[in-house]
Amino acid sequence: MTPKGLSMKASRRQVLQGMGAAGLAAAAGTLGSTQRASAQDVTLRWWSPQSSPAQLAAYKTQIAAFEAANPGIKVLFEPTSDEGYAPQLAAAFASGELPQVITHLPSFAVQTYYAQGLVEPFDDVIQAIGTDKYYAGANDVYKAADGKYVGTGIGNTAADMLWLRRDLMEKAGIGDAPRTWDELRSACQKMQGNGVYGAPLPYGLNSMTSLIFIGFIHRAGGSVFSPDLDVAIDSQATYDALEFYKSMQELCPPGATGYSWGESLTAFVSGATATGIYAGRVLANVNAQNPGIADQVTCVTYPTMSSDIPAWTFNDFPSVFIPAGAQHKDEAKKLAAYLFQPPGYIEQLHAAPGHVLPVLKTIAEDPAYQNNEIIQKYPEEIDLMAASAAAGHNLGYETPEHQSNAKAGEIIASNALAEMVQRVVLSGEDAKAVVGDTAKRLEELMNS
Amino acid sequence: MQRPSVGSRILVNIVTWTVVLTVAFPLIWMVLTSIKPQSELFRIPPTFLPQSITFEHYWRLLTETPFLNYFRNSMVLSVSTTVVVIVVATLGSYSLVRFRYRGREALATLVLFTYLLPSVVLIIPLYLMMVGLGLSNTVFSLVIAYTTFALPYALWLLRSFMAGIPEDLESAALVDGASRIGAFVDVILPQALPGIISTALFTFILSWNEYLYALVLVNSDSVRPLTTGVMNMLITSFNIEWSLLMAASVMMSVPLIIIFAFLQSFLTRGFGAGAVKG
Amino acid sequence: MSFSAVARKNTDTLDRRYAILGTVLIAPTVLIFCSVILYPLVSAIYLSMFSIYTPTLEGGWVGLDNYTSLLASGRFWNALGNTLVWTVGTLVLQIVCGVAVALLLNQSIVFRSLARSLILFPYFLSTVVAVLVWRWLFNDLYGILNHMMLWAGIVDMPVNWLGAMPNAMISIIVVGAWKYFPFVVIAVLARLQTIPDPLYEAARIDGAGPIARFFDVTLPQLREVLTVIILLRAIWDFKEFDLIWLMTGGGPINSTQTLPLVVYQEAFGLNQMGMASAYAVTMMIVMLAFMLIYLRQTRQKESI
Repeated sequence: MTPKGLSMKASRRQVLQGMGAAGLAAAAGTLGSTQRASAQDVTLRWWSPQSSPAQLAAYKTQIAAFEAANPGIKVLFEPTSDEGYAPQLAAAFASGELPQVITHLPSFAVQTYYAQGLVEPFDDVIQAIGTDKYYAGANDVYKAADGKYVGTGIGNTAADMLWLRRDLMEKAGIGDAPRTWDELRSACQKMQGNGVYGAPLPYGLNSMTSLIFIGFIHRAGGSVFSPDLDVAIDSQATYDALEFYKSMQELCPPGATGYSWGESLTAFVSGATATGIYAGRVLANVNAQNPGIADQVTCVTYPTMSSDIPAWTFNDFPSVFIPAGAQHKDEAKKLAAYLFQPPGYIEQLHAAPGHVLPVLKTIAEDPAYQNNEIIQKYPEEIDLMAASAAAGHNLGYETPEHQSNAKAGEIIASNALAEMVQRVVLSGEDAKAVVGDTAKRLEELMNS
Repeated sequence: MQRPSVGSRILVNIVTWTVVLTVAFPLIWMVLTSIKPQSELFRIPPTFLPQSITFEHYWRLLTETPFLNYFRNSMVLSVSTTVVVIVVATLGSYSLVRFRYRGREALATLVLFTYLLPSVVLIIPLYLMMVGLGLSNTVFSLVIAYTTFALPYALWLLRSFMAGIPEDLESAALVDGASRIGAFVDVILPQALPGIISTALFTFILSWNEYLYALVLVNSDSVRPLTTGVMNMLITSFNIEWSLLMAASVMMSVPLIIIFAFLQSFLTRGFGAGAVKG
Repeated sequence: MSFSAVARKNTDTLDRRYAILGTVLIAPTVLIFCSVILYPLVSAIYLSMFSIYTPTLEGGWVGLDNYTSLLASGRFWNALGNTLVWTVGTLVLQIVCGVAVALLLNQSIVFRSLARSLILFPYFLSTVVAVLVWRWLFNDLYGILNHMMLWAGIVDMPVNWLGAMPNAMISIIVVGAWKYFPFVVIAVLARLQTIPDPLYEAARIDGAGPIARFFDVTLPQLREVLTVIILLRAIWDFKEFDLIWLMTGGGPINSTQTLPLVVYQEAFGLNQMGMASAYAVTMMIVMLAFMLIYLRQTRQKESI
């Protein structure tokens, strides 16, 4: 940027706002603002991409209780989506028309926004919830470079478990759950047929493909960044992961080239694929929508390339945070802390049992939490997911040795990794060249 | 003209109706899907006609989802846009057709130019303008945004309707001592009424169907219209319920079906006037 | 003062008063045009010379850098290529189907007005609804299209309609044609009904068969209306956003990514508002060619 450019930097916002003000008559402005100011109560907007009907019902109960306890505050829940929140929030941050509380976004997204000065420090809310109620280290992923917390976990999610059907395995003569990629591939080959596909892996140009594929790089013994956050993707592990991922495509439904979370989940739940890759929501959905296979469903950690490589679980560490530009921050903090209050919080967790796992040990031990049909029906699966999620990682925090990566949110939003997968798998381009390009792209994004 | 044989007439009928039904098939399939129970959708091979008919998806749509809320927003938005645009465009097109002043020709060309302008060029400055004015996330901001495509469209349509009204009628009224405004109200408006209705319907449908501006300018459920609201329901990560989405699609098209059933001649008239003749 | 001079003076003032009235009536239009169309248009050009980070709206002046890097990037040329493939593909299909169906509907068939309504309906349908319906038809596992083709033995594996090339481009072209060809049907049908019968009689007497009659009589009569339709639809198809964005999102990779999609993604996916404006302005410049031809065409017709 030229020196002249730098001198203009400070006044950009004013320039843009002036641009708007000059454009329309002042009358228009008053009309708009009177519309907004008409509400006398404080209205808090709450966004979350987790909004299944059962979860919505749980939020509603929590909101009603919160509103009753805090007269004068209204809470409006608004759903967003895993694939849609990035552009929606970019527009919201730019316009200043922000929700007050945002939940269930991945931890790395919050870190990225915090690094840009868009997120309110969360330390006092964590204290209000009770620091000693958390599992030890539960909030480590939310620690920013400046020592403050950028948000807190509202739960843990083991997002890439391998879901299996015992009946199909038996029919195909498969005794044990696959532990390596070769075993997984041959199991899928055996179970494919009669309109059933092997696996619903995502190949779409979207965040799920990026997030899931990072796991495959780790399960081949590699990583996207080195612990000091140098780009480390150009490695044999990535080539191996791409090769395996490519070999799996013929075992996936044809539409997998556009799959994201919803399609992938529906494919397994409806019985169209023999394996699944998803979090605990599978349990609730199978029981509600396809009870015929409910007794046959189980999960294990996703296989690695060879048995000497340890498992790696993707935990997005679903978060709670408050945007720095939001109005009514005190009320927002009150609401954020209230979301962790036992009866409501437990109902919220029960809305998707095993999907969002508790981060407060006081809750996990609470008999009221244990008192749930699905949690009692699948104790092994739930325990495995809880243990895997607790040891889980994501791009913001790839391994315990890694520094926190404040650019992770932007890297996922850029779809750079999903594009790499598509170029190799769908277009058949040379993996080495594509990974080289991707490494360059990642460096650009890290330095931007 | 020589009469075509009975055989060829039957053939033409069969071919035409096959084509028509093929074109209409996606819509028929939409309605059929919306009344099938969820379990029937996942059957392989799929059933063509529903084995059991259910209206539970419609019921759930109306009671468990914010559909009615989006519907109301869309209604408020489309009606406001239509009213604003029709009032401004009726006066404007009358002036463009029947008055002489400097810049009139240039203005007419400008109208035509903006009629062709892509929204995507205006969207970023408009977005920043709404942010600057503190209007983002209001119905008002969408009404303003929608005028950018609806006003040129309405002006162009009404202009050709107005031009079709014989000037003698107005002159006669003026000779009888009516004022220009009086003549406009008594003579022009009644004559132009079918054209105005037709333009209003087009404007309403355009606003009802708009997606891009609603996607960018609005992020709250309290103002979100149907287009972006229903799309939001699709891209959730927990479940994709096609029968619910098809029910939403049918319900979303209800205003259109009503217009088609009762006011279709106005739509065809609009086509004849502005849209094609240019 | 002579009588005629008084009369002239009166008409002069009347003319002036009418001119004022005309200006007053057009004033709201001009006001709205200037504030929400012209002003944003100029702003778009201005903004395209900045680098602006969307969430914070901060950035600085970069002059023409956005344009030079845009023209040097494969992204722009790829998107332009896709836009042209999409526009030409869907336009050709719309015109061919539109004329064919108009010819059919011009015959005497039973329930003609019902047939016409059914044909016309997709044009007025919301793009969101059209996309939902077609994505359900195209669904890989439960879509009726795949099952019908499997059943008929045309394919032995379900077809990946939207996630592979060239299927994805073909699919959106077909859906685009389905949605927009009714426009052609109605316009052509209106014109067909005004072609005088004696022209056909004369051709028949000359021994022309149905095909020859179409090329010798019908097509020349349709030429003018077809020119207008092609120009209009070319402009509208070129700027289509909703349908492509919602059908494929530009994928697989970027094979269906057209210019309007790039504008949206630059602004809100990659958070580069200045660059997005540069794309938008460049796109408009490309379109300007079509628009000018259309403007000239219309002006010519009006002057006749």
